[in-house]
Amino acid sequence: MRRLKQAWELARDFREGVEDPVEHAYKVLEAISRWEGVVNAYISLESPDLVVEEAERVARGIRAGERVGKLAGLLVSVKDNICTSFLPTTAGSRMLDPYIPPFNATVVERLLGEDAIIIGKTNLDEFAMGSTTELSAFGPTRNPWDPERVPGGSSGGSAASLAYGGSDLSLGSDTGGSARLPAAYTATVGFKPTYGLVSRYGLIPYGNSLEQISPMARSVRDVALLLDVIGGWDPLDATSLRVDKPRTFTASKADPRRVTICIVKELAEGADEVIERAYWRILKRLESEGVELREEELPIASKALPAYYTIAFAEASSNLARYDGVFYPMKGGGSSWEEDVELARMKGFGREVKKRILMGVYALSEGYRDEYYVAATKIRRVLRDEVLRITRNCIIASQASPILPPRLGERLDDPLKLYAMDVYTVIANLAGVPALVQPIEFHNGLPIGIQWMGKPLGEEELVSLGLLVEELTGLAGVVVD
Amino acid sequence: MKVTIGLEIHVQMSEAGSKLFCNCKANYRGLDVNTNVCPVCLGLPGALPVVSRRSVELALATALALKCEIPKFIVFTRKHYFYPDLPKNYQISMFERAGGVPICRNGVISFLDPSTWEWKTCRIRRINIEEDPGRTVYEEGGITGSPYALVDYNRSGVPLLEIVTEPDIRTPRDARLLVEHLLLMLEYLGVTNPRLEGVFRVDANISVNGGERVEVKNIGSTLDVEKALNYEILRQTKIREAGGLIERETRHWDAMRGVTRPLRHKEYEEEYLYFPDPDLPPIAITGEMLEKAMGMAAKADLRALLGELLKLNVPPEHAWSLLTTRPSLELFRKTVSLGGDPQLTARILAVDYKGELREQGKDPYDPSNWPPPETVLELVKLTISGVYTYDTIKGLVIPALASNPQARLETILPERASDIDVAVEEVLREEVKAVRDYLQGKTQALNYLVGRVIKKIGRKAVDPRVIREALEKRIKSAMGAGG
Repeated sequence: MRRLKQAWELARDFREGVEDPVEHAYKVLEAISRWEGVVNAYISLESPDLVVEEAERVARGIRAGERVGKLAGLLVSVKDNICTSFLPTTAGSRMLDPYIPPFNATVVERLLGEDAIIIGKTNLDEFAMGSTTELSAFGPTRNPWDPERVPGGSSGGSAASLAYGGSDLSLGSDTGGSARLPAAYTATVGFKPTYGLVSRYGLIPYGNSLEQISPMARSVRDVALLLDVIGGWDPLDATSLRVDKPRTFTASKADPRRVTICIVKELAEGADEVIERAYWRILKRLESEGVELREEELPIASKALPAYYTIAFAEASSNLARYDGVFYPMKGGGSSWEEDVELARMKGFGREVKKRILMGVYALSEGYRDEYYVAATKIRRVLRDEVLRITRNCIIASQASPILPPRLGERLDDPLKLYAMDVYTVIANLAGVPALVQPIEFHNGLPIGIQWMGKPLGEEELVSLGLLVEELTGLAGVVVD
Repeated sequence: MKVTIGLEIHVQMSEAGSKLFCNCKANYRGLDVNTNVCPVCLGLPGALPVVSRRSVELALATALALKCEIPKFIVFTRKHYFYPDLPKNYQISMFERAGGVPICRNGVISFLDPSTWEWKTCRIRRINIEEDPGRTVYEEGGITGSPYALVDYNRSGVPLLEIVTEPDIRTPRDARLLVEHLLLMLEYLGVTNPRLEGVFRVDANISVNGGERVEVKNIGSTLDVEKALNYEILRQTKIREAGGLIERETRHWDAMRGVTRPLRHKEYEEEYLYFPDPDLPPIAITGEMLEKAMGMAAKADLRALLGELLKLNVPPEHAWSLLTTRPSLELFRKTVSLGGDPQLTARILAVDYKGELREQGKDPYDPSNWPPPETVLELVKLTISGVYTYDTIKGLVIPALASNPQARLETILPERASDIDVAVEEVLREEVKAVRDYLQGKTQALNYLVGRVIKKIGRKAVDPRVIREALEKRIKSAMGAGG
């Protein structure tokens, strides 16, 4: 394990002429060529020449005394379900191999507006459906901390690229924990914002009512920097909140005596023993610093997972209807349009995607809709009210994952166990509240994370607490050796 | 025979400016194929719909004009079916169940039967706002025989109103009158231009003598509404007379051949997997929106507009003619407000000018084919003051004006009697020989004299009959005086 300069420090040092963006770009490209063969974090990479050229352009600008953006010289990786007009966007699916969208996602426009260099598109479970990044049409991504293990998913490529130093910052997406679970498995930070704080325009949809594009990085300050750039109202997304741009980067470390943390029984229990011990260790540590710990209950949490999967699958089945072999690369090649559609969908989608479409269609069917989809939305409302009630007065401390990163293939056979990996994270998506996962310990070389959940638009408080925790753990900026 | 008819009318909001969820144009006519498109209306992954304010305003005004119950908020739903012209394979629409909330429920339409001046009513079940799909073009062989289909997405995402009536309609003619009335109202609301190609489609449900309900789809004109339903009544009656049974089915109106054809059996409800579109949060209907829509609806109250005209003693036929040709109504109002006599103004505009436009093959719905109100006012004044007979105005002035509505009136008015008299006097003095010839019985000499008078008057429009009359009168009186 070693520590890299945080991205925000690097950007500052570029601007002050202390560090050279070009030299830095070479370093990152080196890490990529060293690790990619094993890890497979990227589906497509920008050409190294172009990356260096961009870094040179930034360096020239700085030398000439020009004003440069907040992310000038930083190499940002972007999950491959976020549209870029200059690199293919596959969503990890054969269906979209190779699809080059005619437009950039709003978040990508905002990155470019701050002079970020987009270094490549990261691997994911097909259409973000998965918790391990094994279900990509482009092969699994491996966990740099132990290549026999998964990096979590579905934003596993983003997390892995950060963990081996193959990017400075990354954009993931989080529908039920897809940015936070990989963060927990790779000792990185994943920050799912309040629903509507970040524009979804250009995010290939999986579960529209649940997901947010989410900043990922190696430190709390870095995810805050990225959130400030990508957040804020977007007229192209009707679900985006009409709020000012977030200002979390300048948040200061929390004063422990003014922090209240709620231990929600249902979100604290049920994890493997090593994880539970780590969880309590950091909480006791915080308590000794003056943080108030309070107990809370969320009985409906047991229904969160089925409600989450019902809603997500229903929305997915609808969103994925458009892939019919007409516009997109995978063609059916049948003798009629109907056959074309069938063949394109048969060949283009992987097993997990097909399974989720079928279950989603079932949940929306006449006669079953009330029992499944409508019932799930009712549970969601109750759960949301409960979470809002609790987070009004405290930040919820929760496990990030019930287990350490599993080995490749280990969990895939048992879908219920696979889905259960999301048990702690789906609550924030159902409730629409912000949640941050950060590393707290290593156990036998494998990272363990913790999750903080706040009130809607309470991002700044989470960043403040995250900074405090990071100071205690000393795990900002860690990468594998 | 008891006939029960219910209609489902799809009307494009062609005047909404933009498509329902993006900035492409609502009226795509005349544009090159697949140029009126963007990531949103092509349904590309990641592109998101944002509801056009204008479309909601227009739909709300329609809902108020049809006296609907207005919800506190509206919710769009996704309706799923696979079709090549539907790029997302779901249509963003509305549904009254599964969490959807349409813009209108339980309204009523009053429509006029202009042959009896009776107002009839039909209940409106609901109104949906939804997006139009693209347009599929089949090659030779049509939908079943064509080896391939071409799709133009220029229409994809155009805002539509789906207006569903209760089965309150009793005759095919009433069905046509209702649709005509509705379209006229929508024109006054500024929602649509009913004369655009393909701007509305009607599906009709019809049941004869308590038989099963048959749906006739794809009716594209108001005349065809009546034709298709008459055809169905005939078809169903014949089957029953022969001892057959009417099955519940969906049929397709073939306008070319004037028949309905079976499309598919409706044995079960289609599965559309409705659920609220998660990309579109509920839209609150605010007091401000209602106020604005009410103002719009008031301007489209056809019954009130007709009443206003009748109160001015305009005959109902003329009043209805003015109403159904919107530019003529506007012109009528302006002329009357300038002081024009309402009845005469109505007669000029609603009967003779409109008739003349049709005669000349000009579009009466194009405001530029109508003269300015000042010109109309002048015609009214000239008629009333007796300077010209109405026949002269109708026979000479209106045709000239219809061919050039912006013409200055003095350039097309026939010579008044006094001017003609002066010219006649001069010609008689100058053309002694011709007068003598005429008196000696050479009648063609009179034609020569008429020509001379016309020439003297100049290039102004003048009726030769009037000149002939004046000449004869003058010559006769001279003879009498001489002796």
